[in-house]
Amino acid sequence: MTKLDHFESAFRSASKDTFSWVPPTIAKILVATDLDAEASASYEAALRGFLSATLAGTEPSWRSVGAGDYDSVAALHELVEQWQPDLVCTYRNLHSSAWSFAYSLGEYIHVLTQATDAPVLVTPHPRQTEAAAHALRNTDVVMAMTDHLTGSERLVNYAAAMTETKGKLWLAHVEDELGYERLMEVIGKIPQIDTDSARELIRAKLLQQPTDYVESCRTVISAHRPGLTVRPLVVMGHHLATYRQLISDHEVDLLVMNTKDADQLAMHGMAYPIAVEIREIPLLLL
Amino acid sequence: MTALDLASLMAPPSTPLLLASAEGAPEVPLSVTLIFSALLLAMILSLALEEKIHAKKSLIAGVFAVVCLLLGTAFDLMPFGPVEVGGHEIEMPVYIPAVDWGVIAIILGSSLFIDVTSKSGLFTWIAIKLTKASRGEPRRLLWFYGLMTVVFSAVLNNVTAMLIVGSLTGVSLKKLGREQYLLGFLVIEGLLTNIGGLLTLISSVPNIIVGTAAGISFVEFFIKASPYVAVATVITVLMGIKLFKIDKLPDDAARAEAARQVESFDENDGIESRHFFVFGAAMTVLFVIFIATTSILPWISELGMGYVALAFAAIMLIRYKSSVDQFYKGLDWDLLGFFAALFVVINVMEHAAVLELIGEGLAYLIGLGETLGTGLVLVSAAAFSSVTDNIPLAAMLSKILANMDTASTDPKWWSVVFGANLGGNLTPIGSASTLVAVTIIHRYKLEMGFARFVVTALPYAIVQIILATAYVLLVLA
Repeated sequence: MTKLDHFESAFRSASKDTFSWVPPTIAKILVATDLDAEASASYEAALRGFLSATLAGTEPSWRSVGAGDYDSVAALHELVEQWQPDLVCTYRNLHSSAWSFAYSLGEYIHVLTQATDAPVLVTPHPRQTEAAAHALRNTDVVMAMTDHLTGSERLVNYAAAMTETKGKLWLAHVEDELGYERLMEVIGKIPQIDTDSARELIRAKLLQQPTDYVESCRTVISAHRPGLTVRPLVVMGHHLATYRQLISDHEVDLLVMNTKDADQLAMHGMAYPIAVEIREIPLLLL
Repeated sequence: MTALDLASLMAPPSTPLLLASAEGAPEVPLSVTLIFSALLLAMILSLALEEKIHAKKSLIAGVFAVVCLLLGTAFDLMPFGPVEVGGHEIEMPVYIPAVDWGVIAIILGSSLFIDVTSKSGLFTWIAIKLTKASRGEPRRLLWFYGLMTVVFSAVLNNVTAMLIVGSLTGVSLKKLGREQYLLGFLVIEGLLTNIGGLLTLISSVPNIIVGTAAGISFVEFFIKASPYVAVATVITVLMGIKLFKIDKLPDDAARAEAARQVESFDENDGIESRHFFVFGAAMTVLFVIFIATTSILPWISELGMGYVALAFAAIMLIRYKSSVDQFYKGLDWDLLGFFAALFVVINVMEHAAVLELIGEGLAYLIGLGETLGTGLVLVSAAAFSSVTDNIPLAAMLSKILANMDTASTDPKWWSVVFGANLGGNLTPIGSASTLVAVTIIHRYKLEMGFARFVVTALPYAIVQIILATAYVLLVLA
């Protein structure tokens, strides 16, 4: 039934994932810090400036919770559940001295991203000195990141919503080169499969799928946000190193990524190392 | 009518090569004829049980061809010696002129042509365009897929039609979230391949064999078969909608969502080169025109449809001139080997007077009266081809009818054509395309065993066969 496979593959390939425009509403923003009132206000002011263009034309309700407003992860979680914000803004390693080490996000971020539906905007720590020069200034360059761009409607909608009216939105997909090479190594040991054509065809198809989806997103977004420039960034590479390079090359102001994984309670496998190690710019964790 | 009376009615075989091989055949003792009859029966049973014995039909027919040739030689039945071609005597093995190379050339040429043309993305483009035109509405989708199955079966072949439409059905219904209709769609499409296979002379192998033997032209075949195909298609789809409960979408929201889903198909995805796509479309149209007019075109009429098919295949292959071997590898060598071996077996059976014996049975049926006889030929051909391959049946009956000097206008040719094709709708093993339909059904983990297929398909097959019998007797007779 080789020909059946042939036609099924052709039709599966022709069946494209489409993007639907469902812009999120950001009416309530919760700012969570471990600072005193004055420092919290200063942090919130920085956030307001950072998001001013994104939120232009809307008047969201802001609420700040500082060190004295909660004393545990459970208390902050309850606060979020009760107030139901559309966006939680905070920074890594809340109530922890580990912020200076690039090894974790801290227990608060872990629970907030996995246990609540609200997206979490994680900025560089207020005391962190190695933030990018362009960090927290504006959102004119935003990058959406996932290992499977297809079907990432929420991610792309949030990324588009966070980008300034005349900003640039990079829809990025880094196909794991190591996984691909491992697969090719196995194929190279199967006599029934032509290794050279498999290498060429699989590589092309791996990149084609996200490219097609980006094109679908670009078409839909352009219709609703004509000023926004939507560009694809679909490459093979090593996830962390490649994203670091792309962020640096394009001076990205905000990186948007999915952190939830339907199959596990822990943070999405690829999101975790990137969220931990990309500390120079704000991240929007969905 | 006795065997001797019948033998006296036998006309010379249709081709010069076979004429050479059949001349001067010695009288065959009944015991020898019965031995070869048993061999023929054993081959037919083996072909019917092809799936059970896990053997390809080319090997089954090949083994029987080897045994038949050996026994035929041992019993001194085979006409060894040179054969006459164009006034020249040529030495060649006795089994070479036994094969109808015209039929082999048509199948080989059209298979290659279709394979290369499908690389242009033409057929998937048409299939996706129709899917989009349906806007995802299940009933409309069944109508469109049904018509597409019939047209593809007619222009391409039954198996390719089922492969294209069946695989698209699986993908599109899954995308639309209508998997509950998958079984119904695939069964209807499987049944329609055998209806569409009746439309033209090149739509199915039995048509090619019978049409060639009877001397029916492409245009005549189409004109006589198309009214039945149109009516049977409409009835089959209507029955499918009713029996499989294919409902309309309930509201505008569901219709809008279905339309959005099918719109996400990209018909251009499989098109590697727009130029080759246009060329493939033009060549397909020309192919149908040339095949249809072969009998009236100067020079071409002498070279035959096999030449046309091979010529079009060669032109299409130029595009892949450095990698034509990939298309040679993709050919259905099992089918081609099966034909070659089958023709050899039937040739030996002819020399062993087995066809004469079967002809007596056929003559008995025909002797029951023109109307009853013609009807019984159709029904018995359908019953026979439902349990085994319809190709040996078509080859055997067309040989017998040709030997009986049956006129090309005689409705019995059509009884064989309709019976051999429609019998495939009675069981899942009755035709290669229904077997493909069942294979796709199994790929989607749906229950469809032999018995369930028979129970499901029986109402459709009965209606189609009754309709065909009435059509042959009332319209074609």
